[in-house]
Amino acid sequence: MSNLLTYISVNDGKIKRSSLEVLSRCNEIAEKNGKTSSAIVISDDCSTIVENLKSYGPSVIYTIEDPIFKNHLNTPLLKALTLAMSEINPDVMAFASTEGSKDILGALAANRNAAALADVSEFDWTGDAVTAKRPVMASKIISSVETKGSPVILTVRSGSYDTVEKSGESKVQSIPFTFDKNELKLTLKEIISATGDKVDLSEAETVIAAGRGVKDEEGRKLIDELAAVLNAGIGASRALTESGDYDPSLQIGQTGKVVSPQLYIAVGISGAIQHVAGMANSKVIVAINKDPDAPIFEIADYGLVGDLYKILPPFIDELKKIKG
Amino acid sequence: MKFYVCIKQVPDVNAPLQIKEGELIQDANRNILNAYDASAVEEALVLKEAHGGEIEVVLIGPDKASETIRKALAMGADSGSHILTEGSEEFDSFSYAKILAEFFKDKEYQYIFCGKQSQDTDSGLTGSMLAEFLDLPYATNAVGLQLEGENLIVKRQGDTGQEMIELPAPSLVTCSNDMNDPRIPSLKGIMQSKRKPVNTIAVSDLKNGLTNGSIKTSVVGYEEKPKREPGKKYEGEPDEIAKEVAQLLDSAENVI
Ligand SMILES: Cc1cc2nc3c(=O)[nH]c(=O)nc-3n(C[C@H](O)[C@H](O)[C@H](O)COP(=O)(O)OP(=O)(O)OC[C@H]3O[C@@H](n4cnc5c(N)ncnc54)[C@H](O)[C@@H]3O)c2cc1C
Repeated sequence: MSNLLTYISVNDGKIKRSSLEVLSRCNEIAEKNGKTSSAIVISDDCSTIVENLKSYGPSVIYTIEDPIFKNHLNTPLLKALTLAMSEINPDVMAFASTEGSKDILGALAANRNAAALADVSEFDWTGDAVTAKRPVMASKIISSVETKGSPVILTVRSGSYDTVEKSGESKVQSIPFTFDKNELKLTLKEIISATGDKVDLSEAETVIAAGRGVKDEEGRKLIDELAAVLNAGIGASRALTESGDYDPSLQIGQTGKVVSPQLYIAVGISGAIQHVAGMANSKVIVAINKDPDAPIFEIADYGLVGDLYKILPPFIDELKKIKG
Repeated sequence: MKFYVCIKQVPDVNAPLQIKEGELIQDANRNILNAYDASAVEEALVLKEAHGGEIEVVLIGPDKASETIRKALAMGADSGSHILTEGSEEFDSFSYAKILAEFFKDKEYQYIFCGKQSQDTDSGLTGSMLAEFLDLPYATNAVGLQLEGENLIVKRQGDTGQEMIELPAPSLVTCSNDMNDPRIPSLKGIMQSKRKPVNTIAVSDLKNGLTNGSIKTSVVGYEEKPKREPGKKYEGEPDEIAKEVAQLLDSAENVI
């Protein structure tokens, strides 16, 4: 019996920080209310993940291991999660909000007759209803929501909680699982992976985002240089993912990703609410824009008014000097 | 070939908003077709133009939302079904999906398209819930679609790249607005839309799908997002302001 269960997202054999944030929050809730907090790893190779997870002290680490989990596919993942939920019977099942978890959240809730809350920025559970906050209206408004009945399945925005290590024994328990290829309702034909070994945007401490103002090769080179100096992830506004200048995986905003780095530098981005929805929780926001009335300046801590082609070169030079 | 597209009328997030005693007050005249659903309609139109078939849009909403059905018909959809609500019900994604599942129970189709999320609430749950209730293979967050025979080849946006997925019919796909630019209805389209059939069904007739516990989440209040502390604007010589801000990011903010 486990009261809170966190699904551990894995990318390239590494635990995604956002799922450790969720686990840390579940640990905290469990401690406060005398409940238990466990974790589940579903992967083609669980062993190192399990070891690394132990420093976050979930009471039980459940594993489901099968080669089918090498790539994301909704049918086998749903089967595994459905099985896990019926065996473990959690009251609250929590995920980090990723494209992978968004893909199955609704279907899993429908299958388990569960309440579902997507993309919450805060949540709590005392043993009764889950209460949570969700940004709505392109993040202009925060709605307070409540669930009825159990179980509850939710996904949590990255950056909503800190990761906190915890001592304590974790039991490891593997759940037997078989998957017949005939059960696959769909086929994965190809993976077009664009981001390769670059910094993972959703986990980057610093994000440089390029917008329509970055209009040519020269501009993109400046963005690359700036990102290299700061060891930053590169993101883009919809204007530049739509034009094909940047990979669609790099879009930040309502359609794209939500990021909350320590430092966000918006270069040639106007600050449309759909873009701001994905970055407004960054700690420090710097904006470079030649239009002094651009809405991005309303949320920027440091607003540099001027031509990015003139501002970036001295900015990069100065940062290089500071970094030594 | 029959395409169903589930559409929703949503408030325009760009319109002014007010919160009064925890309630969200919006201008009902600024309601629009959800942008992600518009992309789903557009994609069905493109597939129909290339391969033939028929497109029916389905909407759950109050009387006033019929204008949104007309909009989809003006874009080129062939017919509509309006599942009429009183407007006061507080359905959540689960109950919407249940109502839709009841609607689709006796329908024949190859494809159901939905928007990947609603522009106002951003939950993105109804599509995959509906797929599960109807036991359909599905893909979410589609950014490209092609037909190969009856199979759909879906390009979906994943966390680090795109995945190409093949779905046999019947299937369900939720669409991103990264998929296409929805067409603006032509004058002719608008004229024709007025003669296209719209079938109205009272939501109470589909309530078989709803059991006591079908509404599982509720909104208990709204608040405005706390504003950020106003920052500072730097205008002047690019060299100087660039240098000054770079130094502050180090000395004052300690973020580099
Ligand atoms: C449902 C929906 C979802 C959306 N989702 C997203 C999303 O996830 N992410 C997203 O980004 N957008 C999203 N959008 C689109 C959004 O509304 C904007 O259209 C988009 O963010 C604009 O991108 P931009 O700021 O780069 O371009 P623009 O708005 O064109 O702004 C370009 C800016 O660059 C400045 N500029 C130009 N040249 C220079 C120069 N030389 N030096 C300095 N500054 C310069 C200009 O002053 C201007 O402010 C969505 C829209 C809808 C309807």
